[in-house]
Amino acid sequence: MIALSVSLIALLGMSLNLAFSASLSQPDWAMAVLLAAILAHRNNWIWVLPCAFLHDVILHWSFGSSFIVMALIPLAMIYLDKHLGPGIPQRVVIMLAAILALASWGWAIQALLLTLCLCVPVWYLLTGLYAQTTT
Amino acid sequence: MPLVRRRYKPWLIGLLIIIALFSVSRFSVGSWPMLATWPALEALHKPVQWWDSLSLWFTDSEKLQQQYLAFHKKAQQQAALIQESNALREENRQLRSILDISGITGYRWHAAKVRGRSPEKMSQRILLQVYGVSKDDVIVSSEGLVGVVDSISENHATVRTVFDASISVPVTIPGTALAALARGQGESLSIDFVPLEIAPKIGEILYTSGAGGLFPPGIAVARITEVTPIPGQLFVKVAAEPVAHWQRDNWLAVASQLHATP
Repeated sequence: MIALSVSLIALLGMSLNLAFSASLSQPDWAMAVLLAAILAHRNNWIWVLPCAFLHDVILHWSFGSSFIVMALIPLAMIYLDKHLGPGIPQRVVIMLAAILALASWGWAIQALLLTLCLCVPVWYLLTGLYAQTTT
Repeated sequence: MPLVRRRYKPWLIGLLIIIALFSVSRFSVGSWPMLATWPALEALHKPVQWWDSLSLWFTDSEKLQQQYLAFHKKAQQQAALIQESNALREENRQLRSILDISGITGYRWHAAKVRGRSPEKMSQRILLQVYGVSKDDVIVSSEGLVGVVDSISENHATVRTVFDASISVPVTIPGTALAALARGQGESLSIDFVPLEIAPKIGEILYTSGAGGLFPPGIAVARITEVTPIPGQLFVKVAAEPVAHWQRDNWLAVASQLHATP
């Protein structure tokens, strides 16, 4: 249910990006929610990666830009969790790196900051939801 | 025989994945996914249209009358301008026939509503609501050249802007012998084949030359921002920015070649 909701929000976000990119400064909605989903639970890669692929195809007409970054996140999380232990700081670094990668595709700095501001609360919310479902 | 388990190096697998993903990312997927999003974009624009219609119910009649009179006055002014432009067009045609100069003929102009834009600071791709256009039709704003039509559906079309590296526009400066090519560089334009002796100055405007037949001649394309002579080279390195600012335009014009079938 969480997967379906987040995927639908990501699709809506892509449409918002296309429809109102000229009239208002907005975050990369899809990237923010998908990033939050993968940071909240690394096993989410199974549905986050197809959505990231769709994000690249629709917004950038490319097979992989954010997709590469998103594909590397679970690997980085496994590696860092194994060597440093599960923790927030390394996830924060991963989040910042993933959002900064958007700059290479011409996103404005305001859009990157807004993406960051959206990603953090969604990450917090999803972590809470996953904690509730496991208990 | 003992079972020998091979050990794979994780960093090697990771590196192979990165190389594979990076090579795949270099391929362009084309514009069809953006074109497929038009129902969602139309749906998102609907509330704004509903709000516009609804707000008319709450506008008082006096204000509506004022708006009607203002629009009526504007329509009359535009009718006068159309008459004047028709007279000037005819005069221009006669002068061109006397001087034996060919004009921008062979194109049909129509308006297109902008429905969506890619999210970069200066959009590289645009989705238009338009009828009867063909692939490679030229898109122009009130300021200058925007790009060309990349793909079409029944009533929508996607546009590659001049920032796209796949577009090369033959350009010139009227009254000079310059014949160069403007190429997209992502967020700027590069002007190729500019000889050192006729290098333009910073701030000069380049116009379409009409060479190649794709772009109508005389449309403003780019403003020169940087001219760098390269020692030992015949051509100078020239950077430019587009004259058109399509990021804020809600309507764009399409020039369709008359011999092309929509």
